[in-house]
Amino acid sequence: MKLTFKPSPNYRTAQSTSGIMWDLTMCLCAVTLFSVVYYTVAGGVSYGLRVVIMMAASVAAALATDAAYLKVMKQDIKKGILSSYSWITAMILVLISPIKASCYAIIIATIIAVFFGKLAFGGFGQNIFNPAAFGEAIIMNNFAATYAEDLYTGATPTTAIKAFGWLADSGKLNSLVAGYGGYGRMLIGGYISTIGSTCALLLILCCVFLIWRRDIDWQAPVFYIGTVFVETAVIGLMKGSGLGLGLFNVLAGGVLFGGIFMMTDPVTSPVTIPGRIVFAVGAASLTVILRGRSNFADGVLYSILIMNMLTPAIDKLFDGSQIKDAAKFRKYTLIASVCALAVTLLVGGLSSAKRPSSTAKPAEIPHVSAAAKASSFPEYEPSAEEISNDGTTAVYHTTAKGFHALNGGGEELNEADVTIDLATKTVKKVEITVFGDTAGIGDVATSDSKLAAYEGISSIDEVDAVSGATFTSTSVKAMVEAALNTAAAN
Amino acid sequence: MSFLTGPMHFHLDGHKELTAHKEYLKLPEPDDLYIPLVNGRAACRPLVNAGDEVKVGQKIGEPTDGFWYVPIFSPVSGTVVGVEKRMTTMLKPGEHLHIKNDHKGTAVRAFEPFDYEKASWEELHSFVKEAGMAGLGGAGFPTFAKYSKPEGIDLFIVNAVECEPYLTADYRNAMENAELMKAGALALLKLCKAPKGLVAVKEDKKDLIEVLHRQFDGTGIEVAPVKDIYPAGWERTLIYMLTGKRYDRLPAEAGCILNNVSTCIALGNAMVNGMPITHKMVTVSGDGVQDPHNVYVPVGMPAGDIIRQCGGYVGEDCLLIAGGPMMGKTIPNDQFVIGIANNGLTVLQHREPFSVKCLRCGKCTETCPSGLEPVRINFAEKTKDIELLKKLDIMSCIQCGLCTYICPSKLDVTEGVARAKRYMTLATKK
Ligand code: SF4
Ligand code: SF4
Repeated sequence: MKLTFKPSPNYRTAQSTSGIMWDLTMCLCAVTLFSVVYYTVAGGVSYGLRVVIMMAASVAAALATDAAYLKVMKQDIKKGILSSYSWITAMILVLISPIKASCYAIIIATIIAVFFGKLAFGGFGQNIFNPAAFGEAIIMNNFAATYAEDLYTGATPTTAIKAFGWLADSGKLNSLVAGYGGYGRMLIGGYISTIGSTCALLLILCCVFLIWRRDIDWQAPVFYIGTVFVETAVIGLMKGSGLGLGLFNVLAGGVLFGGIFMMTDPVTSPVTIPGRIVFAVGAASLTVILRGRSNFADGVLYSILIMNMLTPAIDKLFDGSQIKDAAKFRKYTLIASVCALAVTLLVGGLSSAKRPSSTAKPAEIPHVSAAAKASSFPEYEPSAEEISNDGTTAVYHTTAKGFHALNGGGEELNEADVTIDLATKTVKKVEITVFGDTAGIGDVATSDSKLAAYEGISSIDEVDAVSGATFTSTSVKAMVEAALNTAAAN
Repeated sequence: MSFLTGPMHFHLDGHKELTAHKEYLKLPEPDDLYIPLVNGRAACRPLVNAGDEVKVGQKIGEPTDGFWYVPIFSPVSGTVVGVEKRMTTMLKPGEHLHIKNDHKGTAVRAFEPFDYEKASWEELHSFVKEAGMAGLGGAGFPTFAKYSKPEGIDLFIVNAVECEPYLTADYRNAMENAELMKAGALALLKLCKAPKGLVAVKEDKKDLIEVLHRQFDGTGIEVAPVKDIYPAGWERTLIYMLTGKRYDRLPAEAGCILNNVSTCIALGNAMVNGMPITHKMVTVSGDGVQDPHNVYVPVGMPAGDIIRQCGGYVGEDCLLIAGGPMMGKTIPNDQFVIGIANNGLTVLQHREPFSVKCLRCGKCTETCPSGLEPVRINFAEKTKDIELLKKLDIMSCIQCGLCTYICPSKLDVTEGVARAKRYMTLATKK
C-alpha cells in the first residue's frame, strides 16, 4: 500500500474530452446516415454509396496523416490518434462538401485540413482555424474544376441552394421555397445542398442532444442561427419578402450545420460566454453579408474562418473577472452585437435603396438563378445554374416542370443544358438531358429540329409554341429563358 | 446570473450515501494522542510540562497571539509525555503535545453552565473566546474575532450546507445534537445583533430540514433550503444565493455573518455541558477505505489509527485527503492527527486520468464560483504575464477545485491557478 501525493482537487467529473468527441462522432454518423439514405433515394444506390466512399476516404486520410505525423515526431501513435480527434475534422469536411466533389479533392482537402489546419499549429487545441473549414476553403478555391465535373451521369438533382442570395422579392422567394417543397419539406430534408445539410430537423435534434449532454454551449448555435434569422428577416421585411426570407436563410445551405457543428468547435472559438456570443453574432452577420453580396457560394465557411482569426482578440477583450467586470463585459457584448447588426442591415438596406425593389435584380451575384429576371412562366418553376463558363460561352444546367409535374402526374422535372454566347447573349445550343414528359406527345417539342429553332435567339418571344405539345414546349422555353436571364444577370 | 456568465457552480455527485445514514461510531480512544499546538494560525504555548497529569477538558495550551486566540483543551485524561514535532495537515512539521491516555476519562468541567439569554453581550463574547470556539468548517478562524464589531449586520447565517463531496460529518452532528445546535445558534444570533437568522441546508437533506424546523420554528432563525450545488457552502456563493448580494472582502459588507453548524453545536456544548472542543465528528469515506463511517474521535488522534479502525485501506495506491476531495489536502503519510477544524478523511484509490490538451471548452470559466477564467489564467501563467494575471484577478481564486473537477481534458487547472498565485505573490513582493 502506498499513499500518493497529488494536489487537490482529486475529484473529477465523468465527462471527458474524448466522451464529447464520441458524442459528436455519433451525431455526425447520424447525419451521414441520413444523407446516405437520402441520396440513395434521390439519386440511386451509386449516390448513397458515394457518400459512404467519400466518408471512408476522408476519415482514412485523416488518420493516416495523423499517424504519419506522429511517426515522424516519434510519438505514441495510438494515444496520439485518440487525442487528436482528426476523424471529426474529416467527417465535417465531407459533410460540408457537395456530393459532386471528387474523392480525390476530398482526400487532398482532408490532408490539408489535418496537417496544415491542425498539426502545423501544434495539434489539437492549438489550431487557430476550424480545420474542416480551412480544408474546404482551400479546395473550393484551388480545385474548383473537380467540383464542376460530375463523375456520375444520369439524374443529377440540380436545385442546389448554395447560390441563393438574400435580395429576392416575395414572389421569387415563394416560388423558390416551393421549389424545395415548402418550408416543411425543407425542415425534414430532401433538397440538394452540401452533404450534411440535407435534414434540418435532424441537425436540430443533434444540437439539442449535444446541449443536453453538455458537450456544447447553447449560446453559440442559438446566437448564430438566431442572428442569421433576425437579420435576414429584417432585410426581408425591408425588401418585401417578409419573415420568410429569414426562415429560408436558416433552413437553406450550411447555416444549421455550421452553427451546430462548426461554430461550437471550442478550440477555435473564444473561451468566455460573452466572447462566444460576440463570435456567433459576428459570424452570423458575415454569413448574411457574404451570402448576399459576394461571389462565395455560401457565407458560412468564410464567416467562421474570418471569426476564427478574431478569436484571440475577442478572448483578450473579455479577459478579467466575470463578476467584477460584469458591467464592462455587458457593454462590450452589446456594442459588438449592435455594430454587427447595424453593418449587416446597412449593407442590406443600401442595396435595396440603390434599386427599385420589385423588378430590377441585383447583378453582383453570378451563378444565380434566383436573383435573375423573373420568369415569364413562373408556374413552370424554371431554374438555371451555371456549370461552366470559359468567358465567351457559358453552359447552364436548367430545370423546369413539364406536363406531368404541372398536372399532378409526378415529380420528375425536365432538364436541359443550354449554351449561351456571352458576348451577344444569344442561345447557341439546347440539349435536353432529362425528359420527364410523356413519350410520343412531348417528343415533338424536343426534336432536334424544334430545338434548333432556339439557336441564335436572344429572347424566347422569337419562338412559337409547338402545337400539340404546348406544355413541353413551354417547359423548354421556360428553361431557355431561365438560362438567358441568368446570363443577363451576370 | 445573466446569460452572459455561466452558472458559476456545478452539481457534484456527493457520494454522501456512503456514510450519511449510518450510525456514527465512537471509536476506542488511542493510547497516544498528539494535540497540535496550533489552531488555524494561532500558535499555542503549552501550559503543562512533561510528566504532568491532565484531565479531560483541562486547558493545556494558551495562544501566544491575542487575535488568533483559540486555547487548547485536553481531550483525554493521562500523562503528558512532552512536545514533539510531527507532520501536520499543512505538510510541514509542527509542534504537538504528546499525551499518554490512561483510558480513565477523568474529566473536569471546563466552564460553568452559561445562560446566553441572561448574559450581557460582553459576557457572551468573552465566553465564546475563552471556550476556544473557532470556525469548524475548515478555516479555524476564531469565532469571537468575527463578532467583535457586529455593527450593521442584518443577517446571521448558520452554514449547514456541507457541499464537499463525501463529507457528512456536519449533517450527522446536526442530526444527533439538534438541541445543542439550537442553543449555540441562538447565542451567536444574539452576539451579532442581527434581527434575523437563517440556517442554510441543502434541499435534498429532507430529514435534517425537518429536524431544523422542529428546533428553529418560532425562534428568530428560519430554515433556508438551498440547491444541491458546489460550492453552495462557500460564503460568497451562499450569501449570493440567499441574498443576491456580492461583496468585496468580508461578508459583513453584505450585512452578513456566517458560522458553521458544527461551531454552533460546539458552542451549545460549551454552554450546556461546560465542555470545550475535545472531540470531533469526522467522516471517513471514499473508495479507498474498507468501511466508510462517521466516527467520533478525540482531537489529536492520528489519521492512520482512524483508518485502521474503519477496516483499513483498499487498493495498492491511495490518496489520503484531510477533508473532502475538492478542497482538502492530500497527505502522503497517515501520521498527521485530527485537529479541531478537521471534519473528514477521504481515501480514494489513485488512478491517473487520461489527459489531453486543453479543449478551450470554457467550462472552467463557466463554473468558477469566483467568476474567474482559469483557462486564461493557465495560459498567462505559462507566459508569466504578470499584467495579464493581475487583470485576470487571480487572487480572488479560493482554490475550490471546481475548474479541475469540470475540465473534460482532465488537466490540473486549479494547480495552474495556484501556481500563478504563488508566482504573483513572489513577483509582487520583490
Ligand atoms: S479553484 Fe479558483 S479558479 Fe478554479 S474554479 Fe475555484 S475559484 Fe475558480
Ligand atoms: S475546462 Fe479544461 S479543457 Fe476546458 S477550457 Fe478549462 S482548462 Fe481547457
